[in-house]
Parts: sequence; C-alpha cells; structure tokens
Amino acid sequence: MQAVSLLPSIVPGDLPGGFPTSVPEEMRIKRDCKKMEQEIHTSFIFSAINILAAEPWPENAALYQQLKEEQILLSDNASSLAVQAFLQMCNLPVRVICRANAEYMSPSGKVPFIHVGNQVVSELGPIVQFVKAKGHSLSDGLDEVQKAEMKAYMELVNNMLLTAELYLQWCDDVTVEEITYPRYGSPYPWPLNRILSYQKQWEVRRKMKAIGWAGKTLEQVLEDVDQCCHALSQRLGTQPYFFNKQPTELDALVFGHLFTILTTQLITDELSEKVKNYSNLTAFCRRIEQQYFEGHEKDSSTTAAHSSKRSLLR
Amino acid sequence: GHEARPHLLADGPQFPRVFNATSGALFYAFLTHCEQVFSPALQSLLQAYAKFSGAPLIVNTINNCRRAPKGDLPVLVSEDTVVSQPAKILNFLRRQKYNADYDLSAKQGADTLAYIALLEEKLLPALLHTFWIESENYCSVTKPWFASRIAFPLSLYLPGKMSREALNRILLTKGGPPLYSLTEVEAQIYRDAKECLNLLSKRLGTSQFFFGDTPTTLDAFVFGFLAPIYKVCFPRVQLQEHLKQLPNLCRFCDDILTCYFRLTVSDGRQPS
Repeated sequence: MQAVSLLPSIVPGDLPGGFPTSVPEEMRIKRDCKKMEQEIHTSFIFSAINILAAEPWPENAALYQQLKEEQILLSDNASSLAVQAFLQMCNLPVRVICRANAEYMSPSGKVPFIHVGNQVVSELGPIVQFVKAKGHSLSDGLDEVQKAEMKAYMELVNNMLLTAELYLQWCDDVTVEEITYPRYGSPYPWPLNRILSYQKQWEVRRKMKAIGWAGKTLEQVLEDVDQCCHALSQRLGTQPYFFNKQPTELDALVFGHLFTILTTQLITDELSEKVKNYSNLTAFCRRIEQQYFEGHEKDSSTTAAHSSKRSLLR
Repeated sequence: GHEARPHLLADGPQFPRVFNATSGALFYAFLTHCEQVFSPALQSLLQAYAKFSGAPLIVNTINNCRRAPKGDLPVLVSEDTVVSQPAKILNFLRRQKYNADYDLSAKQGADTLAYIALLEEKLLPALLHTFWIESENYCSVTKPWFASRIAFPLSLYLPGKMSREALNRILLTKGGPPLYSLTEVEAQIYRDAKECLNLLSKRLGTSQFFFGDTPTTLDAFVFGFLAPIYKVCFPRVQLQEHLKQLPNLCRFCDDILTCYFRLTVSDGRQPS
C-alpha cells in the first residue's frame, strides 16, 4: 500500500476538525480518513495510468532534501542542487522543502526527490525521464552522437566526482569525526544519531570496498577528482555550456557538484582547490548561478543557500 | 573431457602466445584473475592495448596464483618492477613510451575518460552477471575454464569466491530500493547494458575506430568489453544477441581480431 506513504502529511490529527473531542467524533474522523485513503489509492492508480497524457506541471511541486544548515552532507547537497538547477533550466517551478527524514521518505533511499501531483520521483536520472514524459526536455536538440556523449559525461561525473565526495565524507577519518558525524544525525537524540551515522558509514564503506575505492588514499582520490575536472574543463573549452548554446542535464549535474565543492567548507581546501585550478569551470558555475538562481531573490529557500556562499566564488 | 570448450581469446593453440617479442625488455603478464573480477575482458583489453601501441607482450596463463606477488592479479612484471591493477598497467605501458594516444586532442582524451566511465557503470555489471552469476553460464563455461587454469586446490575455491564477489558488487552498486529482488536488479542491469551498447554503436557510426583511423585507448577498452560478449559461446546469451543486432560493433571487433591478432574470423562461430 504505497499510496498512503506518498502524502506524509495525512494523519488523523491533521484533518479539518482538529483532534477528536468525543468518541463518535473520533469514529467519524477515522471513517473519513479511510475513505480518503481509498480515494488517494484510486487516484494514484489513475494518475499512474494517465501520466503519459501529460498533466501540466502543478504549482505546488516540491523538492525534498535534508535540513540545509545543520544536516545535509556534501554529496546530497550536490545531488539536490543538480536537480534544482535542472528544473530551473526547464522553467519548472519547484519549492525546496527541508525535512530531517527526507532520505527515508525517498522511494529509492536517495535524495533529492520531487513530489509532483501524486508522483514521487527521486534522483536526477529518473527525474529527467519523468520531466520528459511531461513534455519538457533540454536535450531534444542534440543528435544521437551528442546524446551518447552527454550520457557518458554524466556517468563520468557520477563515477568520479560523486564517489570522491562519498569517500571524503565517509571514509576520511578526520572529516568523518569532525563534520559527518555531527551533521548526519543532528536532528535526532543520542544514541540514535550515532547509530544512524555508523550504519550509514558501514553501508558506504561496503560499497567503496566492492568498487575498489576502499584501498585508495586521500591523495589518490584527489588525483581522480583532478583528472575528472581536467576532462570536464577540456570538454567545456571556451563554450558557455557543454553543448554550446543551450544547457542540458549535463550542465545541471556538473554545476550541482562543482558549485557545492567550491562553496562547502571542509577540513581543508584541497578539494575546492582542485576545481579552482580550472578557470573555465569556475566561470561556468558563476554563469549558471547568475542566470538561474539569482533571479529569484524573493525565494528564501534558494537565496539562503547561495547568499552566504556566493562570496566564496570571488 | 570438457564437452564445450569456451572460445575465449587466450584459449588454446589457436591463439598466438608470443607477440612482437624483442631482444630487449620482456613483459610477462600473469593473467588469470583480477580485482575487478572480469579477467576475460581484462585479458583482451591489455592485449589489444599492447597490440595497438606496439608493446612486446608475452601472455602466460598462470598455474599457481600464489606465485603472484601480493596475491594480486593480473600483474605485469618488467625487469624489477611489478605493477598490478589495469589502470596502473596501462599507465606503466604509457610511461614506457608505448602510447596509443599521441594523436588525440585534449577533448578526445576527455571523451575517452567519459566513455570508459560509461562502460564501467553500465556495461560491466551485465558482463559480470553473464560470466559469474548466470548459473548456466557459470557452471558450464566460466567455472570449468578457470578451474582448468588454476592449480588444485585453489581451483575448488577461487571461482566460487570470484562469483560471490561479482554478486556482491552488483547488489551493492545496483541493488537497492526500488529494486528489491535479484530478478529486478538483473532486468535493470541488462537494460542498462543494452542501452550502453546502443550508445556505443551510435558513437562509432561508420568509422573504423572511435577516433578516426588509428586505434586508441578507448578502442582497447571497448574491445576489451565487447570481445568476450561477442565471442564466448554461452548457453544464455541475451547480451550477445543484442550485440549481434549492432553490425558496426561486430565489424569493429572483427576488424581488430583480423588486423591485430592475425586470426581468421568466419561467420563468428569459429573460435577466435
């Protein structure tokens, strides 16, 4: 019964009428609640069937991530920013909602996820496809060879940059102690915060071991980041975007990761220095920030993130 | 005896054991199993790269894994230097001035890195699955082939270990919500692999190699991944069937086999 979990805010206490004041009142509310559950369930089925009939993008689309100031980590922030950039580039409005349990609400366990109508979709890849089914696409103008190239570069970013971020925040002991542990479990009381952090660290370390990154030293990881940035810089060259005039999901993904690396304070500056070595990449980040994020001065959720960090790009 | 010998590249007398041997440095490559558990692909990759760049290479199939330093295969041994791990081996060959990428532009070098990442993310899981996890394939082809090349009693233990490592890798990197069962994960990785093959086919188009007329590192990598899919006769062959629908990729593999490995290819059924 996935239907109920789609709308986490529906609980009996939230229904109009408030808390039940008497037993018959309670029964009525429970019955209403059940009816609503059934309606949600059927409407979920119908909207799933109708998805290709391209419902228009609703006004109340929401993007969920962890708490921005206290909880979110480097890699999740990068992924979330990439999706936000992508949606901005498609001109699709979305509110950013920060919840401590965003990771657990997500259908795939990864943030960010978007809640559009009755659909919940997580991670950039599926979100791009979902948006395409609704009739918006950034990569329609590319030919087949360019599309193949775009997908290859997106895999490069996931393979190297994202894995390096995960390595840094979960496998580098200093960073883990001083940044990750305090942040990851911060909304929860002791000992839950510690348990969640250890559990997540164990999961990430297991994955690193399976792909052969567990044996790498920090210097090797930074070298890989440098190699990846070098490749991205070469590919970008002097163009405004990776595929010349128009941004695509690749631009959104690269922006998400590089901007986050440049503007997040870690133990040392080594990671951001690797990116700063390539002036066309920093110019690229600044350009996308100015074009797609500074236009929304009224929107507190985006400026709160960027205003304090913008100075770091100077 | 074995009823169906796998037709892998380095198998048996059909395959020349000694390439351009020179009186100078001799490289011994001990190749049976490697960290990334895809030795057949690695074998073809390294051999292809060596061919493209002209490095003299002698391929020895090791009989006893314990002789490899640090137990970490494959291993390239040159005089007194020992190098393991495929990426490091390629770097080593490059530093020794056997470089297949001299004529590439900077952008093409970047493309190489990107496509290699695509292969590792999208094609490798399905390759691992075909070789090590699909039970019919594993029991009838992979395990006997490996076991025949490793000394007893390691032959009893090592193939099973590699199979478990492959499954572990796939489940950790690809399995996870919303995919809850192995069948769903398998369906997803084969979908990804087929899409990857389609992308490679589109990128190759009608050219002979990925960057023009001479082969480069990317060609070696792609060949390394495609050749085992193309040539090994498994009972369960959904990836091979998909590959055969992409004629330019088949032509790419055949060209490399005939030009660089001096082997005749007839209707794709002959052992290469």
